[in-house]
Amino acid sequence: MSVKYTPVQWNPNKWVYDAVLLAIVAIYISVFLRLGAAEADVSRPIDGAVLRMRAFGTCAFFMLSAILCIGPLARLDDRFLPILYNRRHFGVLTAIVAWTHATYVYNWYFNFSQINRLEALLSSNTAFGQILGFPIEALGVFAFVILLILAATSHDFWLSFLGAPLWKRLHLLIYLAYGALVAHVALGYLQDTENPTFALLFSAAALGVVGLHVAAWQVGRMRSAKGEWVAVCAPGDIAEGRARIVQLGPKERVAIFRYDGNRFSAISNACAHQNGPLGEGRILDGCVTCPWHGFQYRMADGCAPAPFTEKVPTYDLRLEDGQLMVQRHANPPGTAVDPLAVTGMEATP
Amino acid sequence: MSAKPDDTPFFIGWATPDRRLWPFLIAVAVMAFVAAFSVSYLVAATQDDPGNGGRMGPVQAVGVLQTQPYPVLHVLQSEQLAVGTTVLLMGQGKNGVQGRADPLDGQIVRVNGVRLNRGELNGIILRGGSNGVMVADGEVEGAMPVTEDLGRWRLTGEICDGNCLAGSMRPGTGLAHRACANLCILGGLPPVFVATDSVGGSEFFLVADADGGPMPDEMLDYTALLIEAEGRVERRGGMNVFLIDAASVELAR
Repeated sequence: MSVKYTPVQWNPNKWVYDAVLLAIVAIYISVFLRLGAAEADVSRPIDGAVLRMRAFGTCAFFMLSAILCIGPLARLDDRFLPILYNRRHFGVLTAIVAWTHATYVYNWYFNFSQINRLEALLSSNTAFGQILGFPIEALGVFAFVILLILAATSHDFWLSFLGAPLWKRLHLLIYLAYGALVAHVALGYLQDTENPTFALLFSAAALGVVGLHVAAWQVGRMRSAKGEWVAVCAPGDIAEGRARIVQLGPKERVAIFRYDGNRFSAISNACAHQNGPLGEGRILDGCVTCPWHGFQYRMADGCAPAPFTEKVPTYDLRLEDGQLMVQRHANPPGTAVDPLAVTGMEATP
Repeated sequence: MSAKPDDTPFFIGWATPDRRLWPFLIAVAVMAFVAAFSVSYLVAATQDDPGNGGRMGPVQAVGVLQTQPYPVLHVLQSEQLAVGTTVLLMGQGKNGVQGRADPLDGQIVRVNGVRLNRGELNGIILRGGSNGVMVADGEVEGAMPVTEDLGRWRLTGEICDGNCLAGSMRPGTGLAHRACANLCILGGLPPVFVATDSVGGSEFFLVADADGGPMPDEMLDYTALLIEAEGRVERRGGMNVFLIDAASVELAR
């Protein structure tokens, strides 16, 4: 929470997360170079530089595929949420792995010439008008530049500086980078390989990313509500201090909290900080507490307690035929709404 | 009536996850380790064979130098190469030797360098300066081989750079290598057409334009691709030369 920018510091949880990531990369690269390559059925050894660019390049591709799967997995199964947090570390490491791949390519294929390497990179293949033979280097550079931008702006400082909506839009560029990367591989290395193993793994990863996004979108759509007032549940079905989340649209969810025994309030499920799921949070110190970074909001008006400044939209509630109903359209962030007190339920202090 | 608080774990992202989630998270981490190991091994172990091209060590040879469309040596005497072999002559890195070879066109020369070989394709990366190629006055008798016209052909295959193809890089062919091949050819290294069928017993063809000169730059859009091309094929010593009619070139897939 911020009246001024204060980053979350390193902690054991982050160290463990990063250690696991580093171990995955170390396993991938060392197995590729030490075990797998030695088993390849070749007349004469593949050049070391080519092996390394393949090892780091394929590693970066599979890492990026995994990163893009985490979001939909977390939407489909809450247990993946701890992996979602710190995903930025995963992205930065992927950018470093991609950088290593690019360095090997740059210093191998574009070296040993009288033409400047950068000039050679930009001019050695300019067949932009054809599909087969399209300059895959340009696609790779495009994806790489996006990865670098996203890695450079991944820190909480940029999230605070740009604001969550702009930061989020900027980081959606990752999908553009992934598309360019898929084309980079599909129009390059994939065209050269006769053994189908890599093609199958590559296709499985890319289709997995698409499939999980479609599945998460479909589930969200099925959960979407219809009508001006949307039925939530019976008041007693919500546990004290907890929330019931209702999908109002493909990208809009509301969290209806119960507190003080018989009071109910509804606020947006998306935290103003980084769209964390407020409805999965708890009421601590009288405020809804986001499970991702601990940002807090008052139930009555969706405002963070002073001196903090964050606000989230609120929603009107009413009781109809023993069912809680929530208004489909949100109030502006920070709008005060009287809690719905349900008669017949016991109030607690 | 009131629902009991459910027992789903609650955690704040930057804090350590609830202990009840640990088994699941540990299982995910273990699966990630296994996946990294398996995928890496499968990708690495199933890489295609880049072929048997490679550097075969130092070589000396005496022969007749022919500079068009690209410098080649018709071997008259060598311990490492059979007499009658025709060898591509290339410079260090991605540099051709046209400048050094042109003044010696048609003469008997001695060359020194590193031998490249891929099947019946031979090349020599010349040493620098006159140490790489020099006039061999009176050492060996010989003459430029007679050019044999093998007729017009429409061939399917791939244009590669002769340097990487013969073994300077492994692999030295394919789309991932396309930019490198173009740089080599732009640097003056000889392009070689690798055909899916052989003509006169050879699947390798030194590429020339329809008039017998160097390959035109517009053909660079077709390197590393499976193409069909039409032109006259000539047998010059131990090497086929494919004089491609640029207008006939089209993608084969």
